[in-house]
Amino acid sequence: MTRADMIVVILAVALLPFLYITYWGPSQQGDALHVMVDGKETMAVSLHEDKHITVQGSLGNSVIDVHEGKARFVSSPCRGKQCVHTGWLGQGGEFAACLPNRVSIAVIAEEQRYDSIVF
Amino acid sequence: MTALFFKSTREDHRIAWLAALAITLHIVESALPSPIPGVKPGLATIITIIALIQFGWSTAAWVNLLRVLVGSVLVGSFLSPTFILSLVGALSSILVLRLASWLPGRGFGPIGYSVLAALAHMAGQFYTAYLLFIPHAALFHLLPVLMTAAVVFGIISGFLAHLILDRLSVR
Repeated sequence: MTRADMIVVILAVALLPFLYITYWGPSQQGDALHVMVDGKETMAVSLHEDKHITVQGSLGNSVIDVHEGKARFVSSPCRGKQCVHTGWLGQGGEFAACLPNRVSIAVIAEEQRYDSIVF
Repeated sequence: MTALFFKSTREDHRIAWLAALAITLHIVESALPSPIPGVKPGLATIITIIALIQFGWSTAAWVNLLRVLVGSVLVGSFLSPTFILSLVGALSSILVLRLASWLPGRGFGPIGYSVLAALAHMAGQFYTAYLLFIPHAALFHLLPVLMTAAVVFGIISGFLAHLILDRLSVR
């Protein structure tokens, strides 16, 4: 086997788990968005109506945008902006959190993309 | 009556011999039962790879296309959807082998070529099936299984081609 052969075989084998996860992994378009502040659920909104939500957290206001079945953090008073960089969430079980501001959002669907997430 | 004579070169004869071998494998394989539709070992790849390494790309391309054409006539699938998928698969793999054979340095050996050809064959067939015959997103659920088969059979065919090429060079 030449080196090029090895690389092709390794890449081909590595492609397979990726395909299984992409096409066999459970995923479903989310229906609702749960907003949690300080670990307690404070709001549940439908993902099917576009709106802006402003949530009072421990640092200040987090702004969440709901648009065409997806949601994201638009702005947050925290420093890292992890929550904003998480981007759009649309599938059941997807989750974004602003830990400094203690605000998190989770997409709810009949079938969840993930059972649980550990940070 | 005047007799028609075709001038045939050594190269033509070689292509004919190799194509005959590939067609034989193709037909033997079509008689084997398949657990999943669309999953076949593709043993004729062995001949394509040997042709590519021993005689160059154009011989390999001729052998592969003749194999699809004659094989389908003999099996009875000529111009059927099976034939179209088979043809697209052969064209895709030949195209990828052309690109792969341009790799400088030591380049690819039989296993690399075979895996690339198998992946291209399956991907070409899959998207053709999706576009022409079953334009439904559910078809993509089959893709992981089909690609797994392509990788496994690509490695096996490549290994067999490697063994045969070893014997050929000893001679």
